[in-house]
Amino acid sequence: MKGSKAIVGVFSYLDDTIKAVESAKEAKLDYQVYSPVPNHYLEHATSDTRSPVRFFTSLGAVTGLTGGFALAILCSLDYPLRVSAKAIASVPAFVVIGYECTILLGAIATLTALFHFCRLPDIFRKVGYDPRFSDDKFGVVIGCESGQIDEVSQKLKDAGAEEVSVKDGL
Amino acid sequence: MTTAAAADAEETKVDYKAVNDIVLRMLEPPGMGWFLLLLLCVGTAAIGGLCWLTQVMNGMGVAGIAHPIMWGVYITNFVFWVGIAHSGTLISAVLYLFRAKFRMPIYRLAEAMTVFAVMTAGLFPIIHIGRPWFAYWLMPYPNERALWPNFRSPLLWDVFAVSTYFTVSAVFFVVGLIPDIAAARDRATCKIRKFVYTLTSLGWTGKHRNWKHYEAAYLLFAAFATPLVVSVHSVVSWDFAMGNVPGWHATIFPPYFVAGAIFSGVAMVITLMIPIRKIFHLEPLVRLEHFEAMAKLIMLTSGIVTYAYVTEFYTAWWSNNPYERYQFWFRPFGEFKLAFWGMTFCNCIAPLSLWYKPLRTNITFLFILSIVINIGMWLERFNIIFTSLSREFLPAVWGGYNFSWVEFGITIGAFGWFGMWMTLFIKFFPAVAITEIKMIMPPPVRDENALDHH
Repeated sequence: MKGSKAIVGVFSYLDDTIKAVESAKEAKLDYQVYSPVPNHYLEHATSDTRSPVRFFTSLGAVTGLTGGFALAILCSLDYPLRVSAKAIASVPAFVVIGYECTILLGAIATLTALFHFCRLPDIFRKVGYDPRFSDDKFGVVIGCESGQIDEVSQKLKDAGAEEVSVKDGL
Repeated sequence: MTTAAAADAEETKVDYKAVNDIVLRMLEPPGMGWFLLLLLCVGTAAIGGLCWLTQVMNGMGVAGIAHPIMWGVYITNFVFWVGIAHSGTLISAVLYLFRAKFRMPIYRLAEAMTVFAVMTAGLFPIIHIGRPWFAYWLMPYPNERALWPNFRSPLLWDVFAVSTYFTVSAVFFVVGLIPDIAAARDRATCKIRKFVYTLTSLGWTGKHRNWKHYEAAYLLFAAFATPLVVSVHSVVSWDFAMGNVPGWHATIFPPYFVAGAIFSGVAMVITLMIPIRKIFHLEPLVRLEHFEAMAKLIMLTSGIVTYAYVTEFYTAWWSNNPYERYQFWFRPFGEFKLAFWGMTFCNCIAPLSLWYKPLRTNITFLFILSIVINIGMWLERFNIIFTSLSREFLPAVWGGYNFSWVEFGITIGAFGWFGMWMTLFIKFFPAVAITEIKMIMPPPVRDENALDHH
């Protein structure tokens, strides 16, 4: 977040929170929203792009599919043992291995991407976070310079913030 | 509106804060009852552990497994526990994709049940192989003899299916828990608890960017877990159906096993949810309508299972194959007929009572019926494994089974092991999904019309 100060607004209502976000966007200020629950309206107000997690999922799934088949086929070729005149690399029997590896690696890639994009674990950096944000309150934190404190605080109050506070160090 | 319906409507008036209050109250320091329950579970698991130790020290001879029934009680238990695991994924993943709202209050417990049931199921093949220290031979790893496992074997498919299932279920479970552990962290007053929750929540704060990635990933996890609902028990069924054994070699096995697994799993969710709801006063969140929805799922899957039983008999008769025909005469009238009739009563007849609404909305009746169904589903697996193996093609190799106390101890111990994890879980982590319940609630707004502009 840009700026040396963080102005924290605590909101009880979702529509007020969205107003605060739009006001920060209008003023081209850097902001951060905390909410106890994901919300479609909030997501619409804060972001225009879709999460890139899905690309990693596809990559993991394709790797799993090829890796699963490769594992079964290469292991069979490494120690060829013909059973009942069936092909050494009997693909239909290996579909299950390919299928399971697709899901396994797809899920692991999704998890890795989730942690990467969410920057998790993130145990110590909590600028402007308030424990009530996991309960029933919404928080909008706006980064600004010292000279903008009054202006930004007023924006949050105008949007309907119940409490506004100033934090140091971003 | 009836009085009950009015009371139900009243109960639904919970806000975000109330959800946190109700769920996080479950994590308050436990009373004597919890410790006694934990002691009972740990004690039972220890009995199972001692029985296993006896088997490891003295060899497989102490178990009843002998020719011709080489799969015995352990594989029955394996299939039973994998089946129990199943409905957790159905409730958490499939119903998530279908946006079924009734899943929200029950899914966390169902998913916990899945993870712990797979942990229990996974023990049985290892117990069954007799020399558990060689269990790693199942894994394809480079070795000096260049020997690889047989990828054409359904038993190896099962290794991949069950380990993938466990991993994906555990990931889905843990990812779902992260925001709720953060809520527990923010309420914790004890320093140790706060520290543990801070670490296990990975510092989750509910930033808007994180929610975006979280929702996308969660949907993808659900999409990955959904085919697993179909595949895991299909692969387990192929352990049987790929073998040329009368009573096993049938194409109906995969759907029959999947329906049976959901049937038993939903029953187990009811068995666990009813006492937990009562003890922790979860009535405002887990309401009668949720139990009724689960009862309807039981009615559906019971119908499918019954249809599969009838189809098995029909195809055996229609095939005109003497071995198949004998097998399906042996099941209801042979040495293990009690298991067959027990299974028929518990899985086909008893669930018919749910067509009567006052019974499917009666909590006590549902609790009893859920236990009856689980007994029935254990008997179903027993019936499949024991009857088919005891009467294969040649009468010279027919045989019975001598049950041993070691197998009994390990079977009971598995319930203790499963119960131990469930008991620990409900006291240390939110057993009801806080975030997901909030997601289906209307968000707090000052002006109802304001959101329409977005």
